[in-house]
Amino acid sequence: MLALEQYRLDNGLRVVLNEDHSAPLVAINLWYHVGSKNERPGRTGFAHLFEHMLFSGSEHVGNNEHFRHVQSVGGVLNGTTFFDRTNYFETLPSNYLALGLWLESDRLGFFLPALTKEKLDIQREVVKEERRQRYDNVPYGTAFERLLRLAYPADYPYHWPTIGSMEDLGAASLDDIREFFSAWYRPDNCTLTIVGDFSSAEAKTLVEQYFGDLPSGGSFPPFTAQRAPLGYENRETFASHVQLPRLYRLYHLPKMGDPEWIHADLLTTILATDKASRLDRALVHEKQIAQDVATYVLPTEATGMIMLQATAREGVQIEEIEAAIDEEIARLSLDGITEDELTRAKNRAEIEFAHQIETFDARADLLGMMSTYFGDPTMVDRWLDPYRAATSDDLAHVARNFLIPENRVTSLFVPES
Amino acid sequence: MPIDRTTAPSPTAPRPYHFPHITRKTLPNGLRLLIAENHNAPLVSLRALVRSGADHDTEQTAGLASLTADLLDEGAGSRDAIQLAEEVGILGGALGTGADWDASYISLDVLSRNFEPSSAIFGDVTVRPTLPADGLERVRAERLTEILQQRDEPAAIAGKRFANLLYGTGAYGNSVIGNADSVARHTIDDVRRFYKQHYLPNNSAIVVSGDVDSTGALELIERVLGAWEPGPELPRPTVSHRPIDASRIYVIDRPQAVQSEIRVGHIGVARSSEDYFPLSVMNAIFGGVFNSRINLNLRERHGYTYGARSQFAFRRQPGPFVIAAPVRNEVTRESVSEMIAELRRIRTGDIEDGEMDDTKNYLMGVFPATVQTASDIAGRLVDMELYGLPEDYFDRYRETIAAITKDDIARVAQKYLDPDRVLIVIVGNASQIREPLGTLGIPIHDLDIDGNRLVVG
Repeated sequence: MLALEQYRLDNGLRVVLNEDHSAPLVAINLWYHVGSKNERPGRTGFAHLFEHMLFSGSEHVGNNEHFRHVQSVGGVLNGTTFFDRTNYFETLPSNYLALGLWLESDRLGFFLPALTKEKLDIQREVVKEERRQRYDNVPYGTAFERLLRLAYPADYPYHWPTIGSMEDLGAASLDDIREFFSAWYRPDNCTLTIVGDFSSAEAKTLVEQYFGDLPSGGSFPPFTAQRAPLGYENRETFASHVQLPRLYRLYHLPKMGDPEWIHADLLTTILATDKASRLDRALVHEKQIAQDVATYVLPTEATGMIMLQATAREGVQIEEIEAAIDEEIARLSLDGITEDELTRAKNRAEIEFAHQIETFDARADLLGMMSTYFGDPTMVDRWLDPYRAATSDDLAHVARNFLIPENRVTSLFVPES
Repeated sequence: MPIDRTTAPSPTAPRPYHFPHITRKTLPNGLRLLIAENHNAPLVSLRALVRSGADHDTEQTAGLASLTADLLDEGAGSRDAIQLAEEVGILGGALGTGADWDASYISLDVLSRNFEPSSAIFGDVTVRPTLPADGLERVRAERLTEILQQRDEPAAIAGKRFANLLYGTGAYGNSVIGNADSVARHTIDDVRRFYKQHYLPNNSAIVVSGDVDSTGALELIERVLGAWEPGPELPRPTVSHRPIDASRIYVIDRPQAVQSEIRVGHIGVARSSEDYFPLSVMNAIFGGVFNSRINLNLRERHGYTYGARSQFAFRRQPGPFVIAAPVRNEVTRESVSEMIAELRRIRTGDIEDGEMDDTKNYLMGVFPATVQTASDIAGRLVDMELYGLPEDYFDRYRETIAAITKDDIARVAQKYLDPDRVLIVIVGNASQIREPLGTLGIPIHDLDIDGNRLVVG
């Protein structure tokens, strides 16, 4: 059991504290419950662009000073954006707890006065370069984007990736930024987690001093989108500048934390992790038709998904890869899995979880996630329970009901002729 | 009373940090053991360090060290590859093997309650790998495919061409995994010979870190690896580089590119250099951290790139110094020009107090955050062994950095950076970038993806 304390400030800010004096460090982590799913068509990429803007200074912290303040005392920091949330975090020598809280509270409470067109223009260019570097200038870079397009209708907010489109990035205005900030960047939309070498009394005083007087807002725009099942497999073949064909698939799934999602998490481990896993063994090790296979579930809140990919060896047709994958999935659905496989998958879940608890920063991030998605950071103590309780029937159920053609989309990347 | 938000709050008194105590022992067969306890999580990291890596590869055998390491988990003791993976999985472990220029490595991260049975598997992978011929064929095919895939990856192409131009076709000039010709040539006898010559206890060290009892761990490892037979150590080959008489630009055309992958650099220094610490501080100021000059210039001032960095690759023998950034096509010339201008500027010794203090404080303060896990600590002990660092290295780290002055920075910048003799490698859209690059006044050569010189009409 982790020694957790949780409470709310009057303005709605949720605070999670976990004292741990094993190293003279403190991890500060803020989860804002806003991500690319809160964007609208025509303004995609906004939540992420916004994350960049939050490092460009606030009323009492100059441009690039946020980085400087943290790094100049030996801290590390970053932020990330995904469909459902944006997080900001720093790990500092523990005697600098107040510095971290000052910085984070300043950009939450005093961001807009420091916003300028010039800063927006620079960060817009940086994000466009990020898109070029990670999506447009590398082989298979747009695969995830293409899958999402196949999997969700244009008005469902998982239809577009977090990076957004070049066109929308170009169109973002200062007013858009102000509006987005006011709607979402509020204490009552945030969990502040602190893990490490501090005293609870000291932390509570500092949190109240720096965050207590920040105003909360009115009601949040509701999230009402519902995913309607397509009822058939949406597929495409995409010729691009790649050396080898690669199959990409997305299977729909209930949202993160639901029993089927947890069972699917174990099932993907059984399908593809090490040489003894089903797809690795059949496609990579025995038939030797694939270079690599990978499959995993995504930590998403509105609806869940399993990702699967496999790269063909030189001279192997993608159809052969796809048939071999489907054969293995059919075998799994028909014959189920062995107790040995289940034990290995559970052990892996346990070791991955242990790694997340091991560092202050990863632990703080996990607590922020539990608090944001499930409203309860103490869920961290029970997180592995449903994994431990899972049976081979539970996993076979997921295989039979979710790993089926009408529940999936497929994008086949093939070399241009 | 409301808090004063106008200035950064002062720190409280710093709390002490101590690197974990290291228990050491050298076994009669020459194997060195290092154990560090850390009970934060129920995890143990086991590492074997074999002090021979791809630096032993020649033009003919390029990729052999890495291939040998890759085959270690294709079967060990009485287990074949699948059985090995199954056993590791049952113990809640993750097994890894690999090589870099300096050394070969085996790693096993496990749940601490399974440390004892895991150490037996670890011993078999280290001392009794089966190195099967069919495993070689499978891994060879994987390697060849990987090499093929890299032909589409601009960063991989740029890295390979840069290394090749600097070091030729011997060690450091190839890729660690070799090239299509050399990988096609390796036989299982080559692999077994490499293993036999280099995987010796007197050429190796074992590191255990995490949730263990030092005395018990020491005894266990001794039981598992004490009978490993020593042998004669091979001398370390010398790595040589080609001198650069004047700056040159090498363009590798990638017609579909929407960014240029730029590498600018030259030879660096070995890890054992007496200037290691001043160079580390200098590089951090120049391009080693987010708020470094190169990144602030190219990313935050100009918006040319998502990130620009510089690095000295500190290896057993001098690795390269490289500035790297992907930038959009239209600003390729400007980016190269800014990189060279920054090289000139840092050599003038014009260093602000703020950036000097910030950088030193960063390097001194960040250390505890980088050694939180059993695996992090194991990595530091491996470094210590590999580079022969003194036993008090991590305890004296802070004071060593603290003593570095601006004069030291200027001195090492002048000694080790040479803006007039750099290799500039650019993988990008030649039709868009070549003409602007011409105005830099630096000769331009066109290469194909394999490094062959092209004559462009």
